[in-house]
Amino acid sequence: MKGEEERERIPIKERPEWADVRPVPQDDGPNPVVPIAYTDEFSETMDYFRAVYLADERSPRALHLTKEAILLNSGNYTVWQFRRRILDALNADLHEELQFLDQITRENAKNYQIWHHRRWLAEKLGEHVANKELEFTKEIFCKDPKNYHAWSHRQWVLQALGGWEGELAYCSELIKDDIFNNSAWNQRYFVVSKSPLLGGLEVMRDPEVAYAIEAILTKPENESPWRYLRGLHKNDGNSLANDPRVASVCLDVLAGKTDYVHALNMILDLLCHRHQPSKELKDAVDAVSPDPNLPDAGLAENVCSILKLVDPIRANYWEWRKSTVPAQD
Amino acid sequence: MEDEELWDFDSESLSFEKDRHVLYLEMMYQLLPAPYQGQEINRLTLAYFVISGLDIFGALDRIDKEAVINWVLSLQAHPKNDRTFENGQFYGFHGSRSSQFQSNNNGAARLNGSHLASTYCALAILKTVGYDLSQIDSEVLLKSMKTLQQPNGCFMPIHTGGETDLRFVFCAAAICSMLKNWTGMDCEKAKEFIRNCQSYDGGFGLIPGAESHGGATYCAVASLKLMGFLGEDLLSEKASSNVINVPLLLDWSLQKQAFEDGGFRGRANKPTDTCYAFWVGGTLRILQADKFINEEALRGFLLTCQSKYGGFSKFPRLFPDIYHSYYGFCAFSMLREPGLNPLCVELGISAIAAIGL
Repeated sequence: MKGEEERERIPIKERPEWADVRPVPQDDGPNPVVPIAYTDEFSETMDYFRAVYLADERSPRALHLTKEAILLNSGNYTVWQFRRRILDALNADLHEELQFLDQITRENAKNYQIWHHRRWLAEKLGEHVANKELEFTKEIFCKDPKNYHAWSHRQWVLQALGGWEGELAYCSELIKDDIFNNSAWNQRYFVVSKSPLLGGLEVMRDPEVAYAIEAILTKPENESPWRYLRGLHKNDGNSLANDPRVASVCLDVLAGKTDYVHALNMILDLLCHRHQPSKELKDAVDAVSPDPNLPDAGLAENVCSILKLVDPIRANYWEWRKSTVPAQD
Repeated sequence: MEDEELWDFDSESLSFEKDRHVLYLEMMYQLLPAPYQGQEINRLTLAYFVISGLDIFGALDRIDKEAVINWVLSLQAHPKNDRTFENGQFYGFHGSRSSQFQSNNNGAARLNGSHLASTYCALAILKTVGYDLSQIDSEVLLKSMKTLQQPNGCFMPIHTGGETDLRFVFCAAAICSMLKNWTGMDCEKAKEFIRNCQSYDGGFGLIPGAESHGGATYCAVASLKLMGFLGEDLLSEKASSNVINVPLLLDWSLQKQAFEDGGFRGRANKPTDTCYAFWVGGTLRILQADKFINEEALRGFLLTCQSKYGGFSKFPRLFPDIYHSYYGFCAFSMLREPGLNPLCVELGISAIAAIGL
């Protein structure tokens, strides 16, 4: 992990403010397994950390030392935990701490301990940092719109501290930037089902189905909106089969004659839930059948056969799906 | 830790370079290069990758088993006495000396930094080298582990607090399974938490509401398998409504194999990565649905991530790292590569180690 200062590091043993402390070396025992080739900087920093930790010294210099240790080893939860102890003992300015955290998070955005520390801070600071936290995660998403930690943190902030007002719009914005951003689709589902301002899934289903359909028609090969559409119907096959818009979007995609794997998968699911296919749908399926001379089988089996050809990497799965088709009436 | 510079690669190897991988593991066993110092706190996990990796190659003769056992056991946290144990701390294993301090005169119990993930790795290593786990003082370990379980069924990794998510539910389940003692956790509550982590798209997120993710999905399914909540014939229609939505999970998982390069991705619309061949491939194996994986395509992808130095990298043409190497080896074991030992996928160790002969 990159340190922030450009100037050369002064070894701790040469710093006058540390003259009274005896560093405690790591005792790996006689036959350590998978030893690591530590740099001198790392060893020295951790030796001094051990000293203050054992002495339970909760001082400003110890606080600074934890920062150095964190910069070398940001996953070390013992150091983080001790830092929290010191912050409490010194009654430190937690807003300053948040600023420090902002800095190191930018360079280390995929570290669990950093985000855990952030949650600890936000919990202490309370509701009034809700906006700041939402802004900060947005900043992270500018560089990496799928950062898993940031999304978890954002969900936690919304549920614990509030700030739901702009969330659905934010999801729309991200999806507009990249319609394939599955994290944004997941967040959308989260908002639609959990936001206290929106009324829940039942209320939101209609407009959201329309939103999903528009996204599907834009890029039918995109897995995300198809999953989202299913999710809106709680993956209940009967509910999906009874929503005419679902069969309709499948038909539209098939008519486009390209990128229809997900559409066929959906048709298969509908048929497995006793959906009565229209003549149009049957014709549309026939029209994309690469081999019009398929043996006379039910529509569902035909769909599986087509899928084997157009999605060959999952051929074994599509073949097996044939066996799960309920007997036709 | 990851050194992401590109290296000049001559010609792609079309075969699995077993000898090079064993050499790579031997080198890591002897000494991990400096960039791994950022992982010092988790050294036991690194050791697990190396040792379990060598086991997969049938090359455990390259290590000093006694030394390994002694080192791992030295990382176990012990309460000072019977009363100390009731202080709400977890007495498991430390990941390294970095969280383990010699207790001084204060007998400061706060010095116990043992961690659930390290405990899993410790037991996995011990089982792998053939150590009889009944010799471990497991009563304290399990009793104190229960205090890490949250009201919603999830697990915290360490008593001083930490992120709680599915990874630690898995660790707890694997620990109980290896110690053959389920008093360390409330399985019903854990099952509920796992169910709540299944996303609308069929995969599992690390916590309820989170995006479905290959690693989280493995943790969920492996945990359920270990706890005995998954029936025998999961794909059969007759399988009564399972604890989780299996058909949806199946479809999600299979969709993660990319037609573009044959590799597995961890989330929809994200790049493929070596390790998901284990996380998602392993999930499918547990569901007895690995027959639906296109093995040839997967193998082809993995070979593009094989390093000429031995080991595997996350993506093609990067330097290898021990994490992606280990999961690459696991993936080839699941692909039945000759010369590799089979796995007990849900425990994350070789099948023989799991049986404990």
